[in-house]
Amino acid sequence: MTERLAMYIDTSKCMACRGCQVACKQWNDRQGYVPGVRETHNVGTYENPLKLDPQTWTRIKFIEYDDGERFQWLFMKEGCMHCTNAACADVCPTGALKYGPYGIITFERELCNGCGYCSQFCPFHIPQLEVINRLTGEAKSSKCVFCQDRTTNGLKPACVKTCPAGALDWGDRDEMIAKAEARVEVLKNERGFPKANVYGKTQLGGLGRIYVLTAPPEVYGLPADPKYPAISTLWQKIVQPVGQAVFGATILGLVAAFFVARRNVHMEEVE
Amino acid sequence: MSVRLKGTDSAIMIRWIPKYTTVERFLHWVHTASFIPLALTGFVLFAPWLEPLAQGAAGVTIRLIHRIAAVFFGGVPIIYAILQPRRMVLNLKEFLTFSQYDLLWLKGAFPYYVLGRHEEMPPQPRFNTGERLTAIVLVLGTLIFGLTGLPMWFLKGVMPVWLFQLAVIIHDLMFIITFAMFMVHFYLAVVHPMMWQSLVSMRYGVVSESYARAHHAMWYYGEKRAKEMWEQHRREAGH
Ligand code: HEM
Repeated sequence: MTERLAMYIDTSKCMACRGCQVACKQWNDRQGYVPGVRETHNVGTYENPLKLDPQTWTRIKFIEYDDGERFQWLFMKEGCMHCTNAACADVCPTGALKYGPYGIITFERELCNGCGYCSQFCPFHIPQLEVINRLTGEAKSSKCVFCQDRTTNGLKPACVKTCPAGALDWGDRDEMIAKAEARVEVLKNERGFPKANVYGKTQLGGLGRIYVLTAPPEVYGLPADPKYPAISTLWQKIVQPVGQAVFGATILGLVAAFFVARRNVHMEEVE
Repeated sequence: MSVRLKGTDSAIMIRWIPKYTTVERFLHWVHTASFIPLALTGFVLFAPWLEPLAQGAAGVTIRLIHRIAAVFFGGVPIIYAILQPRRMVLNLKEFLTFSQYDLLWLKGAFPYYVLGRHEEMPPQPRFNTGERLTAIVLVLGTLIFGLTGLPMWFLKGVMPVWLFQLAVIIHDLMFIITFAMFMVHFYLAVVHPMMWQSLVSMRYGVVSESYARAHHAMWYYGEKRAKEMWEQHRREAGH
């Protein structure tokens, strides 16, 4: 099997400095603060920005969680999961989104035609459509590509490289899983986080992000058992081939009917 | 109108009967000229092997053409309803009128269109069974294309994703049904040797008296007379 790389994300170590957000923007040439265009306002949370957008491929989500025994302020790095079964790549009609090397779902912006199917089929609602013109439909998709230009050249993603807390790591997926499982044991047994768990090992065939969580996934807005969209399967595996077969059969049938009819029809009788 | 036969002095008289209004013919061609680009541009997104055409700037253009054509496609029924509402209602009513002769038509259609057996065909009103079924599918199809296409266009990211997904798949199913139907329609209207007058009628709005008599007897003779003639024809044929 070809090597699969993954990102290790230990939410228990994250201190929400958001250096990863900044490093991501810097490396991938995304906009940060642009006076008059991209400004942020205090709405009563440190979370910033409040959601992913075409210029923000990763961000730290702030969650206030009270499990009845104590209060936790949780920080979770959000971004593309790089699923093994990636609906976005399956529905992409252009090949802009692809199953790339090391299990990375790569994105080639020049190939994207802006249809936005990826944004509508991702079970995690990750791809962000940059709508340039709603009327003409001109748009571009965007999402975290695990710094495909770095990682395919043996470097770590920019966010991992910059993380000062040691919350992030990058490497062989099995190693990242082993590291996460070991960390969860420590959190459970030594640090008083009985609900600590690993997320990403099995979901959607295995994710490219391996999370260490200290609370159940739902608390972070992560579906415990995300589902590959059934309509994507129906569409790609059944409707597309059947549709083309119907067209082919219709054309063949009509060509055959034409030759038979030409032999049988006597034009002098035709009104 | 008299037509001089090629290379001879003889002329034949053809009496032409109006079948379609000018508006109807004009809108039919607008419909055609928008449906074909819609189907072809849609096919580019639909068929994985056409991926190169869907990419980048080409794909943006393909999607733009789809939208421009959609405006015309959706405009057809609206303009028709505004300009000739009574004709529209009349046609819709005729589309929805079926009788026991339609079963006979369906039975006779294959021998007739493929094997050229004229005697099998029961009398038909202004639109035959196949035409009426086609029309009904297209009327419903237009509604469904609009009801799925417009939200995909304007409400992406606003409506829930499951609704968008449903819209795509329904849009695709409608595409498969109507595009296959269009091929048959095209074959019968343009390619089929016996149906040469359908193109004439769509160009000039008229059909010849003899064509009307043979293909749309219930329209030409009236329902009662056409049925009597059919019964008599069947008795004589020994049925
Ligand atoms: C009311 C008219 C219609 C509207 C508003 C409409 C709109 C759309 C939109 C918005 C899309 C999504 C792609 C994009 O965002 O550019 C689409 C895709 C598509 N449309 Fe239409 N459309 C209409 C009629 C038709 C017709 C008449 C056909 C074919 C007979 C058709 C076939 C398709 C196909 C095959 C796709 C691609 C779906 C896929 O990716 O598999 N559409 N249409």
